[in-house]
Amino acid sequence: MAEGGDVEWELSKENIQPLRRGRAISALHQALSHSDGATSAINQQRQAFESELRMYDGDDPLDVWDRYIKWTEQTFPQGGRESNLTTLLERAVTRFTEEKKYHNDPRYVDLWIKFAESCPEPLDIYRYMQAQGIGVTQATLYIAWSEEYENHGNFRKADLVYQEGFKKRAEPHDKLLQFHKALQARVSRQVMSNLEEDSDDDEPEQPERVSLADLKHRGKKKTIIPVNRTGPAIRNISGGLQSHRITAVGGASNSRLMIFDENTAQSAGPSEPKLESWVAPPTSRAKENEHQPEKWSDVKMPQKTKFGHTVMAPPPPKPTFQPFVEEAEKPPTMTPCKINPAVNTVLSARKPSKEETPLKRLQEYHQQQKEAESGKAQEQSMYCKELLLNGATEFCFEELRAEHYFKKMAQGSDNVGGQKRDTSPSE
Amino acid sequence: MTSTLKGITLKGSAELVAEFFSFGINSILYQRGIYPPETFTRVTHYDMSLQLTTDPKLKNYLTDVVSQLKEWLFECTVQKLVLVITCLETNEVLERWQFDIECDKSAKESSAPREKSIKTIQDEIRSVIRQITATVTFLPLLETPCAFDLLVYTDKDLEVPEKWEESGPQIIDQSEEVRLRSFTTSIHKVNSMVAYKKIDSV
Repeated sequence: MAEGGDVEWELSKENIQPLRRGRAISALHQALSHSDGATSAINQQRQAFESELRMYDGDDPLDVWDRYIKWTEQTFPQGGRESNLTTLLERAVTRFTEEKKYHNDPRYVDLWIKFAESCPEPLDIYRYMQAQGIGVTQATLYIAWSEEYENHGNFRKADLVYQEGFKKRAEPHDKLLQFHKALQARVSRQVMSNLEEDSDDDEPEQPERVSLADLKHRGKKKTIIPVNRTGPAIRNISGGLQSHRITAVGGASNSRLMIFDENTAQSAGPSEPKLESWVAPPTSRAKENEHQPEKWSDVKMPQKTKFGHTVMAPPPPKPTFQPFVEEAEKPPTMTPCKINPAVNTVLSARKPSKEETPLKRLQEYHQQQKEAESGKAQEQSMYCKELLLNGATEFCFEELRAEHYFKKMAQGSDNVGGQKRDTSPSE
Repeated sequence: MTSTLKGITLKGSAELVAEFFSFGINSILYQRGIYPPETFTRVTHYDMSLQLTTDPKLKNYLTDVVSQLKEWLFECTVQKLVLVITCLETNEVLERWQFDIECDKSAKESSAPREKSIKTIQDEIRSVIRQITATVTFLPLLETPCAFDLLVYTDKDLEVPEKWEESGPQIIDQSEEVRLRSFTTSIHKVNSMVAYKKIDSV
């Protein structure tokens, strides 16, 4: 191939999401060439998949989804909204939650894992999968789950996940064993390197003073602060960020950053990943620095008067000196930007919507299914809603009808052709 | 002094190409995670930062190979260098980096230096190594521990030196092949290519 044609992928290498299984270079070239032909071919292919999803009547509907999603991954190397990958994954995953025969199908489990990786909280998804019995005998689930824990730095949990996998006799056993070994190797290597680092500073660690710590005081009438201001002299305050660190560090150096260790903190709890009933969606994990939306009606904004002075704060005093401006670099005099009345680009605040995570939607769907089964459903659609909303995009009735029509036509012509062929040998 | 800057001799060319292989192999081993990243150290060469292994065994092995390669390059008897990445457990070939070397054998007779500045050559080499780094965008993740092997294709009548052994081509069946950039010293031309297992979808 000419060298010029080859560099296309290299020029946009930052926009290509790496895939676990790699990419076909031909698909990559096609996706990166921005010709109109390529785009329309992609659209056609997508449409074909969409209609196949609806028209499929074989006994393996997952196959279509699987191919569609793999195709999407290869065709949209940048990912993003255009590819619709997350929607597709979610739909696919939701669609088959009731079908027990797929629960330990490697393809289905792979879809779940991809879905989890695209979610903000993959661990929740894995726990949900376990609770629903999806992929519990598939090694891939435990590998992905454990890797997630490992990414969080929780090696003990990562190991436990493998233990759970062994207990469930997940297949393929070799693969699970191999990945488990690899994890152990990584962990031990890390421990080793930590040990080496520790042995570097041989001198016994002197208790160091912690900055900005509250000290315990002695004496009732006259408070005296001890001379030795390390270790036990520091008062433990309940609450607050600092206190945790102090208790954890104790007399150790304060120059090194302490890392919160989930293992020690949770050691009191049950060690196994426990099965949760998942009636209610999991509460979002407590996040720091997250502001709850609150009423703003009491908050006063500094108001401006006609003269442009703020009421609340006095105007800043005029500088007593003349700032030097270089002659050549005088900024062009600014004219106030006039808003074109024809273009109304005023932004209005969006109404606070319910915070939706993919998992919540999943559970809602699950709930609805149950309600529908028990006949408690509030709504019943008297049209083939399922078919219209099946894929990543919405179909309209006419499209469906056309598909049926074309199918019938194709069958008809097939039959005619078949008859002809049948008769020809006898002639 | 000026002649060495402007032109290039067979010896210099062999050295440059051997140096490229040394850095190229190191980069591949680092990029593909064949050896743990902490056993590499960063050096600056070709005006870019590159990773070199610090593992003593690997270092020795690579120096041996590269010095032997330099000899062959000087004699213009080497045709290909292939780096094969195999799965440690199943011995399956997962990736195959192939560097085809075209030698201009006429350079052996005439010792006149060729007109090509080292800087241009190094620029070309740099873009090859850049491209090797960029291949992670489409190569499959190597999930299992892997080993690597170096194969050198030479002219037929060459004696196999000590510590070298004959081997099969280690071809991946059903592979996807991607040509990378090439560079030339005007005596040796190196075409690079990577082959990897075709994904079973699409």
